[in-house]
Amino acid sequence: MTAVIEARGLAKSYGASRALDGVSFSVESGRILGLIGPNGAGKTTALKAILGLTAFSGELRVLGLDPRTQRDALMREVCFMADVAVLPRWLRVSQALDFVSGVHPRFDRSRAADFLRTTDIRMASRVRELSKGMVTQLHLALILAIDARLLVLDEPTLGLDLLYRRKFYDTLLNDYFDKERTILLTTHQVEEVENLFTDVIFINHGRLALSASVEDLGNRYQQLTLAAEQAPRARALKPFYEREVFGRVAMLFEGRSAAELGGLGELRTPSIADLFVAKMQRTPST
Amino acid sequence: MNSTFAAAAAEDAPRQAAPSARIGTANTLLMLVRRELWEHRALWVAPLVVAALMVLGAIVASLKFHLTHSDMSRDEGPEGMAMFAVMQSAVSMPLSLVTLIVVGFYLLDCLYTERKDRSILFWKSLPVSDDLTVLSKLLVALVVVPVGVFALGLLLSLLFVGIWQVDAALGRVPAIPGWDMLGWLKAEIALLLCLMLGVLWYAPFAAYLLVVSAWARRNPFLWSTLPPLLAPIIERVSFGTHFLGDFLRYRMFGIWGTLFSHMHIGRGRASALSSGFSQLNVRAAISDIDLWLGLAVTAALVFAAIRIRRYRDDS
Repeated sequence: MTAVIEARGLAKSYGASRALDGVSFSVESGRILGLIGPNGAGKTTALKAILGLTAFSGELRVLGLDPRTQRDALMREVCFMADVAVLPRWLRVSQALDFVSGVHPRFDRSRAADFLRTTDIRMASRVRELSKGMVTQLHLALILAIDARLLVLDEPTLGLDLLYRRKFYDTLLNDYFDKERTILLTTHQVEEVENLFTDVIFINHGRLALSASVEDLGNRYQQLTLAAEQAPRARALKPFYEREVFGRVAMLFEGRSAAELGGLGELRTPSIADLFVAKMQRTPST
Repeated sequence: MNSTFAAAAAEDAPRQAAPSARIGTANTLLMLVRRELWEHRALWVAPLVVAALMVLGAIVASLKFHLTHSDMSRDEGPEGMAMFAVMQSAVSMPLSLVTLIVVGFYLLDCLYTERKDRSILFWKSLPVSDDLTVLSKLLVALVVVPVGVFALGLLLSLLFVGIWQVDAALGRVPAIPGWDMLGWLKAEIALLLCLMLGVLWYAPFAAYLLVVSAWARRNPFLWSTLPPLLAPIIERVSFGTHFLGDFLRYRMFGIWGTLFSHMHIGRGRASALSSGFSQLNVRAAISDIDLWLGLAVTAALVFAAIRIRRYRDDS
């Protein structure tokens, strides 16, 4: 298996603040990686480093290329979507198709046009006349038609309503993703897309808080829900996070077996959203 | 079964073929130029509007005014073509002026707006290098638009001659003496030479505007105009000298002095100008060291603009 992204000791500072502080990870082909972190955690900086849009220190290979010096070659294989606002407002839909097919050797114009026909977007419209959701659809149409090996999405559905968001991810999964492609996605709306991920990376204050495949999460982390009076017994097993809801307590454990926890309450694999909240709120002392 | 297999194979085929698929630099550049003309419509709309107004003016003038033979000095017969050339250079004046303004604002805008509206992130998501992008903008400003406007001026002057001839046929103005193909071509070539020299001479200004456009965080217009306006004043106030002002003035008009250094403006009107066209001191102008120094500065500035676009990180 060759790594699509191989990062070692990525670091980047903006003045005194460290946006990335020695981040290392690798992503293999055919994965959908969620890069999850609170605002200002360094997600966008990491993406920008991968896309060769910012200077950084450390070692980074994307599809075997160095984004700092080989960006032009890299962009033939990589596609990215920053967020909904970046298509220029003066651009016509037909011009967008003309332009991308004029400069991108891996763009399949008919595919983009086919997808656009399933939407309300007209060829003669300008971006400024489209709703936010439609602009995202247009951008998605362009991306679907580009045969890229790595797709990087930075908050692609920010500010869109649920219907557009759902359709966006369904299309991405059904019409785009396959074993030879890799998707790297950052988003705030973790609950909605967590079924999409094969891998997750939590990032906070420029450092990795967690890096695992979704299969691993099930083995490594357990969520136990139990009545409040049972809590002290469970606490002896050192949960790293607990939360009380409606008189019941939910606890998260790392590396405990089902045999240890099973008798105490209801056991399941925590959702990525719960795990994220737990990892981000954990106090340094525990 | 077979058909699904074939379909799957067909689906696979483009992906296998894709790595070898390439788009030539020339085609990419052409696309980039088209893109500039889509976005900055003023580049071609403004000259067309001016041209339309001039045609309108010429038609109105031809309907309202009558010229008699005594209004024109026709004694210099073979200079008929000269009149044509003069007409074209006269037509070119308002066109050039408008083009100069539009191109100036275009250069200031082209690397600034894409950062302001963050569309740079879209452009940079495509396999187009920063070198080619910046070069396409320079190409539009220094070649595409000037050549286009030159062609428009040519067309306009032909139209004006046509209007004149119609008037002449109606006996309202004196007829233009016979058509001299060679003279016409000479005049056109001379005008093109002037255009080319002008482009080369002013290229450093264009590159300077590109740098400001790529660099300014806000208000590129002020950043581009204030330094050259204030620096000479500051120099004069603090040192009492005027090197900067002299230098800027020289960079504005210097080449024309060299180009026209052979010309004697004496006999007045059309003939002087027309003979002037054949008297252009092209050799002196093209071998002017300052012209080439300016081009070296242009190259450095364009390189700077490319680097700024490549490594700037504030979107």
